This record gives sequence, structure tokens and C-alpha cells, in this order.
Amino acid sequence: MPNKVTIWKLRNNNPLRKSYVKNSIKLDEFDALIKITVEMSRYLYPYIREILKSKEDLEENSVIWNDFNKRFIELITERLNINSIRVKKFLNKTGNNEILVNYLLTLSFCISDKGHQKLKNILFNF
Amino acid sequence: MMQNRLLFHQSSVSLEIIGLPDYSINENKDQISIISEWKLTIIDKPLIEGKIEHLEPIMDAFYTYSNLLIKNEIPIYESTLIDIKAENLHIHNIVLKSSKPNVKPLILKIGNSLMSDAINCFDQLNESSKVRIKKTGVSNNFPKNVRFRLNNKVKFFNFILPPLIAFCSLIFFSSTLIYFYNPVEDKEKNELIIPK
Repeated sequence: MPNKVTIWKLRNNNPLRKSYVKNSIKLDEFDALIKITVEMSRYLYPYIREILKSKEDLEENSVIWNDFNKRFIELITERLNINSIRVKKFLNKTGNNEILVNYLLTLSFCISDKGHQKLKNILFNF
Repeated sequence: MMQNRLLFHQSSVSLEIIGLPDYSINENKDQISIISEWKLTIIDKPLIEGKIEHLEPIMDAFYTYSNLLIKNEIPIYESTLIDIKAENLHIHNIVLKSSKPNVKPLILKIGNSLMSDAINCFDQLNESSKVRIKKTGVSNNFPKNVRFRLNNKVKFFNFILPPLIAFCSLIFFSSTLIYFYNPVEDKEKNELIIPK
């Protein structure tokens, strides 16, 4: 990844986005995106952990979870094509819990030194 | 002889490995190849400890269960040593069964946060160069056919798609034209031409 613009351009390959381009991602670019994701999740692990933890105790007021869910929905609405059925699933504030837990767990399981290999395997088996 | 101790730590979970290097293959003195004991400490939960023959099945159980969790399959793992079941989306019940008779199984309830801490401790152990253990959980090689697909999928489709579309449209148009062809009329025309 020579610069941030390259990452931004690659990001635009996501067909769920409001506007996207149809380029084919090369294997090394795919690897680079995976490594960035793993590095980010390693850096954000304490936050990911807290978000997961906030939902565990039923008596505890899950303010952190609600904030995270609210911000997630805001980002999705802002950037993704909300007419898509797949995107609509993310926007259901009560029904998206399973999806969010699944994504957070996937990221939190891949923070080790060889986490990028693990994430790659998970994505290929998705 | 002094035993080596290695500690793998992640937030609320820590895994301690105690053992000796294998001097018969000239290993460094800080290496652990013969694991005599291990301890898994989870904050606010009872200590889990055992021998090497218990560690591998327990690691396998955690890895298999975590794979089921993220694959959206029914998260249940059952074996003679350990059972893991999901109570709900956020809590998991672990039953550790002792190999000794008349010892009650140890029941633990852990959330997603502790589950990911435990998995990360096992990952650290798997990836450590200081401990020699039968590697479990992560396979570093994904299937070759998947690698091929990623590399060549787009190129292959670009190559095959235009002639495929051309062929399909040819068949489509020729099959529509067949409705305009009347063999009886054609025969009459031929008969008219022959007398000349």
C-alpha cells in the first residue's frame, strides 16, 4: 500500500457501498487489506472487548453496546446502499445483534501474530 | 532440576506452561518441549489445570467451538473431557469433566470477552517459538483451489464471457426466427420454381 489514497480506492470496490467501482482486487492487495484489518483490531481489542462485555451482564445497563450500535447504524446509513437487502439487515437495531457479535468475535479472534492467516481462512469459508 | 515457566497473558485470562527442554535434541535451556503442567487462570473463575494430555483436547474444544460461533452454526462441542454450549448469544457454559472417579464436573460460565481472551492465549501458545506443542486451531494454508479462484476468477470470466454471450444470443435469435419459417409455404414456392 503506497499511500492512503490506494487504501481509499480499494475500499471503493465494496459493492455494498452507495457508489463503487468494479475493479478486480489483486491477491497482494487483498492480503494488505487483511493485514490492515488485523492490525486495527489488535489496536482496538480493548474497545472490542468492552463492547462484547457490555452485553454479557443482563442487569448492567448496556450503554456501550447501544452507543456502538447507534454509531454502526449511522455509518452504514451514511456510506452503504440502504436499498440493498443485505444492508437492511444491518440497520435493524434489535435484529442486528447477532451480526454485530459475530463480526466483533471474528475480529477479536484474529489479533495474534498470525491473525491475518486466520482471518483469511475465515473469509474464504464465509 | 529447575522447570521452565512461560506465561501467556491476554486481559483477564492467563495461561502458564511449566516444563523442560528436550536436551536429547540439544534444545536451549529456556525452551519447553516436555510440558509437565499447565494452568489456565480466568479472573473470578476457578483455576483450571492439568497435564499435557488434557491441554490439547481443551485447546481443540475452544478452537472448534469458536469456529462454530463465527460460522453461525449451532455452537455445541461435546467430548469426554469438556463440553461447551451456548446459553445465549453472549454467554457460554463450559463443563470440565475430571478423569478421576467421584470428582464432580467443574461448570463455568464465560462471556464472549473471556472466550476471546482464552482463544488469544491459546494463539500465543501456538505461535510461541519457545514451546513445542502439537499445533491446533489455525491452519496457515488455505486450499489451493481457493487461491486459484481469487487470482483467476476475474480473468477467466473476462475471457469466457464475451463468446458465451455471443453464442447464447445467436441461439436466442435463431430460435425466434424459426417461428417465421413456414415449411409448407417454402414447399409451394419450390413447386412454383420447378415448372419453369
